[in-house]
Amino acid sequence: MKRQLLKLSMLVIAFIMVTAGAAIAAHPELTEQEKLTPCSQCHKEVTPEIYKDWYNSVHGLDNVKCFQCHGTYENLKASPDETNCAACHNAQYMKRPKGKKCWDCHPAHHFFIHK
Amino acid sequence: MGLSRREFIKRTAALTAASYVGMNLPFTNEDTAHASDADSWHKGTCRLCGSGCRLELGVKNGKAVALRGIPQSRTNMGYLCMKGMLFYKLMGTNHPERFKKPLYRARKTDPFKEISWDEALDIAAREFANAIKKYGNNSVAYYGSGQSLTEETYIFQKVMRGGLKTNNVEGNPRLCMASAVGGYITSFGADEPIGSYSNFERASCFFIIGSNTAEAHPVLFRRIMRRKLDNRDTVKVINADPRVSPTSRIADLHLQFEPGTDLALLNAMAHVIVKEGYYDEDFLNNYAVFRMGKDKKQVGFEEYKKFLEDYTPEKVARLCKGNITPEKIRKAANWFAKSEGTMSLWTMGINQRSRGVWANNLIHNLHILTGQLCRPGADSFSLTGQPNACGGVREGGGLCHILPAHRPVKIDKLRHEVERLWGIPEGRIPPKPGYHTIAMFEAVNQGKIKAIWINCTSPAQSLPNCDKYRKGMKREDVFMIVTDIFPTKTTELANLILPTAFHFEKTGVYGCTERRSQLTVKAVDAPGDAMPEVWIVREWALRLAKELKDPVIKKCVEPFLGKEPDYELPKAIWDEYTQKLTKGRDNDLRGATYEVLEKLPDGVQWPAPTKEWALKGGTDIKFVRGLDPLADKHAKNDLPYQFYGPAHKDRKLWVWLRPMKGPEEMPDSEYPFYLSTGRIIDHWHTSSMTGRIKELMRANPYAYVEVNPKDAEKLGIKPGDMVEVVSRRGKNILPAKVYVGPCEGMVFVYWHDQDEDRMINRVTKDAFDPGSKEPEFKICACRIRKVSGPKPLKPFLVHMKS
Repeated sequence: MKRQLLKLSMLVIAFIMVTAGAAIAAHPELTEQEKLTPCSQCHKEVTPEIYKDWYNSVHGLDNVKCFQCHGTYENLKASPDETNCAACHNAQYMKRPKGKKCWDCHPAHHFFIHK
Repeated sequence: MGLSRREFIKRTAALTAASYVGMNLPFTNEDTAHASDADSWHKGTCRLCGSGCRLELGVKNGKAVALRGIPQSRTNMGYLCMKGMLFYKLMGTNHPERFKKPLYRARKTDPFKEISWDEALDIAAREFANAIKKYGNNSVAYYGSGQSLTEETYIFQKVMRGGLKTNNVEGNPRLCMASAVGGYITSFGADEPIGSYSNFERASCFFIIGSNTAEAHPVLFRRIMRRKLDNRDTVKVINADPRVSPTSRIADLHLQFEPGTDLALLNAMAHVIVKEGYYDEDFLNNYAVFRMGKDKKQVGFEEYKKFLEDYTPEKVARLCKGNITPEKIRKAANWFAKSEGTMSLWTMGINQRSRGVWANNLIHNLHILTGQLCRPGADSFSLTGQPNACGGVREGGGLCHILPAHRPVKIDKLRHEVERLWGIPEGRIPPKPGYHTIAMFEAVNQGKIKAIWINCTSPAQSLPNCDKYRKGMKREDVFMIVTDIFPTKTTELANLILPTAFHFEKTGVYGCTERRSQLTVKAVDAPGDAMPEVWIVREWALRLAKELKDPVIKKCVEPFLGKEPDYELPKAIWDEYTQKLTKGRDNDLRGATYEVLEKLPDGVQWPAPTKEWALKGGTDIKFVRGLDPLADKHAKNDLPYQFYGPAHKDRKLWVWLRPMKGPEEMPDSEYPFYLSTGRIIDHWHTSSMTGRIKELMRANPYAYVEVNPKDAEKLGIKPGDMVEVVSRRGKNILPAKVYVGPCEGMVFVYWHDQDEDRMINRVTKDAFDPGSKEPEFKICACRIRKVSGPKPLKPFLVHMKS
């Protein structure tokens, strides 16, 4: 029930934001104390699917953490800079197909590898 | 909490929704420059762990803005961990807390005052000279680091030994790698691993014991993980550790044994290998002998078999407890022996034991018995903790008993050879090794050392039982010089703080775990008046020569006079070390000139006696004819492997009869728990660097004590509760993590935290291995109790008082 409510609220918020043209939203405001919480601690509860996808991916297995792609509170990006990917995947970044984002081919938080 | 849980979830849901529809959120970006902005990229090596990841620093308008991996590198293949991605934030003017001026105070209770370099160097020379005049040459000491560049360690030890006539030259690798050194020398006759990381992609079985590779060496772990994921059915991973860690996630078999029973477990595996006939008889006949005792008495295979009778899987499983069963021991031994290539990996869990050398020997035994050496994928491979513990300290002469290029101080011929190569009078270097680390700080406690130079490390936090040794460092009659980039627990106790250039702000070589030397060339300016250590030591030595009226001190730095400090000076030091000192030694690096190192995407693995060989990358596997030029050069017969290591005149690998020996301190009724300590992925050592990178500090702002759920239930401890951890030496109060990490009866604490309440080395024990002198950080006895429910905590770092 709780999860269904959460999903529903997420969809509703997304819908409102898109339809109202509200292109921006902020991470919930946190105190400095609250900022001392690893991202995954809350996101395990509030975005469990994403957490699960990440945890079972090669990034999860090798401890590549949320902030490495998304930044921390002051520079947070829900859609990361691709140059962050390039910190580890520079060769792939340099030869990516034009007009494609990394995650167009390697789904975010799953990170399947092309075979 | 300023935000209700419901509100928090609601707002976070908004974030998630935003991410689903591909929108970017507004943010206040404190770091205005990005990787995409860099106008030049500069090759170098990671500053943090011992993996030796190659990376490029992005620079824009003279400012460090990003780091990225080098895909062509044979160490990391382009991958970096979060520390490697972010340490550019400490460079140049990026961090306001960097030391920029020399700071001095005559008394340790006084405030520091900024002084000039001239004044600082005069004081440093005068204090050392006065101590020597009054109390003798052994009243001064140098305590260095596995994070210093090779050029730095080399010039420091040259001035101390050749100039000041003392072997009081030590370094923090004593705390992490000394047992591995002892193990390699006594088992294989030569320090450092036989093989390379290239075995990760060739091994069919990984035996990971006493190493949380996933957090301590994440980029190497990625290669192991990849090997396993790509060969799920054919590659086996055995993880032996009293604590289930992120490394265990890729394990097929987890051997969770009670702390301190590792030696028995390893002997039990040998028992199975011998009993079941898994050993390689030809390999043993050609290359091995069996030895025991202090006098290294040679014995026969039959005697070894008899020795192993005591280590039946049934008996050892009862001793090891945890989840160990005789079947698991048999399975591990079978996988180990029967795989096409078995690679053992270990680090502090094995080294930081009061019988760390023996534990190393017993791992090597398994490889010698089964012939799992020198062929693809087969290797007994110690992972190094620091970026230049191997290259700088083990090879460069940074410990009290060794001179550069693996020369024991006590061997007259080798000592005199060094004196001759340095052009100083014979007899100048004393034959007796200096104080090892614990003895050195014991001597500080006793006031026997009057002046000590601590470079690039923080013993006030990193020594075991550190309160005991902080007392000595606080003494007003002990003059303490500290060279560092940020305030630490040790700079708090200094008289003189000298600001140094950081990585990429100076030039020099790091030698990583796999015998690989890699160059980092200066790319950004150091902040303020911070200077490279090589310049500091040269200028100090010139002043010392005057103070002590001793021209030999000047002679030690004469080849380096007039060289500019950013490139020419370290290059001249590297040239002297490699061309003169490593010539003819097992770590021959003559081919690895700066010119060659700059041409390669990564670096050179020794032995590399010629430029031609170095340009091919050097030696991937030692001792194999056709692959190692020294194996061909020193060949005595037609066998494919030639174990020419300098310590074994019989040119054999030694299988050791080493009995089970428990830790120095066992739990009892008063202190019923085992305490163990270790790293977490986001932080490095004492967190003086990683604690100053916001992302890393937030990811792990404090040390926790990990408690097994069964123990937590018995003691009423819930997640986040504040728990007191007390030993015979000191106490901590830390928040609890309750999960199946440590085995029942054991707690585990991260050691990076600088807060006095959470600094676990106030609790650990300073017992040490009688052979390697490496302390037993990994095991002591403690008791725990809940002192309160969860409390909001603040991360803590030492800051300079204004």
